[in-house]
Amino acid sequence: MRRPLEVKAEEAAARSVVSLTSALESISSMQIAKTKNKVLISNQFFDEVWSIYKQIRVDVLFNFGRAIDEKAIDKELLILITAKGGLSGDIDNRLIRKFMEHYDENKNDILVIGHHGTTKLKQSHVEYKYYFDLPEHDYVNVDPLMDITKKYTKSRIFYQNYISLSQQEIKDVDLSDVVSSKGRTADLSTIGDDMVSEKTYIFEPSSYAVAAYLENSILRLTISQFIYDSRLAQVASRFKAMSAAKERSIANVTGLHTEYNRAKRNQVDTRLKESMSGLKKLRAGGAE
Amino acid sequence: MADAETPATPQTEDQALAAAIDPKKPTIAVKVYAPFKVYYEGAGYSISAVNETGPFDILPHHHNFLCMLVPCELKIQTPNGEQVIKISRALMHVKADSVTVFVDV
Repeated sequence: MRRPLEVKAEEAAARSVVSLTSALESISSMQIAKTKNKVLISNQFFDEVWSIYKQIRVDVLFNFGRAIDEKAIDKELLILITAKGGLSGDIDNRLIRKFMEHYDENKNDILVIGHHGTTKLKQSHVEYKYYFDLPEHDYVNVDPLMDITKKYTKSRIFYQNYISLSQQEIKDVDLSDVVSSKGRTADLSTIGDDMVSEKTYIFEPSSYAVAAYLENSILRLTISQFIYDSRLAQVASRFKAMSAAKERSIANVTGLHTEYNRAKRNQVDTRLKESMSGLKKLRAGGAE
Repeated sequence: MADAETPATPQTEDQALAAAIDPKKPTIAVKVYAPFKVYYEGAGYSISAVNETGPFDILPHHHNFLCMLVPCELKIQTPNGEQVIKISRALMHVKADSVTVFVDV
């Protein structure tokens, strides 16, 4: 059995792990509240722009804002949205696993957002072509990413979706599908007098220019929305991981404390036994 | 004397705005916002902005209108004075005396 002092030292170290994990759990909890609130506010904005886009859409073929005669790279671009660093639970591992099921070296190019994703890809011996840091601020400038997206015939995005504090899922969607399907939901039969058309609206400079601009805007907003969703899922995953780590460290401290008590009692028992046997010897010697 | 003893009711921001609005002057509902920030939300007498065609004003009873704004200063004449908002990219939607400017789209 280990010595009590040794166990006591280990218990003190484990207690500092409990403090650390508690602090990280609290930080994650605050981040969730902040991020969730922002996502809710931004969703209202996105919904309003979507509702205009739905009405104005004139072409079901989403073209990533490219001119019709512009030639695109005949590959599918895979966009991975991952955390900027570790301590994000298992969410990035799950995302990489899902991505690997889809990935084909000859058919895909990879764009990674978030440093953790590049580390995970290197571990899986997969080369990525483009990299962007995960934006930390509210305003996300996705223009450089859109410039790359436009070069490809198809783009698929792998992102993390927040369902609840305890549940986050990995999703992958075809970028053009998600944009055109949202546009398609409002067909002419569902739109009444509110329809945005040349009969009921003035467009400047022209209806086609506004529609083309909106198509770009919608792509920009869709990518931004996926990034915000992923950020929320990442902080929730981190919270989950920190809660689990805190529970484990508390259990560890409890176990070490029990071990310390046992070791101490054992030490006392041993000393008592030694004293008793010494006393016996003394008594035995005195009798002689 | 009873009036002197009655404490004055504090005015809320909305009440103050309602008091500032000239009832003879028609207004429009204005909202200028980005995904995470509301720049202005309230009543306005007019809005001035610039699009590819040039500078323009939106007044009450304007026809339904949808346009892209170019980098400019958006000026809103409100009951509390002029509000100026610098924008680099925005979409303006005018419908039924309600103007929404989506900034950064």
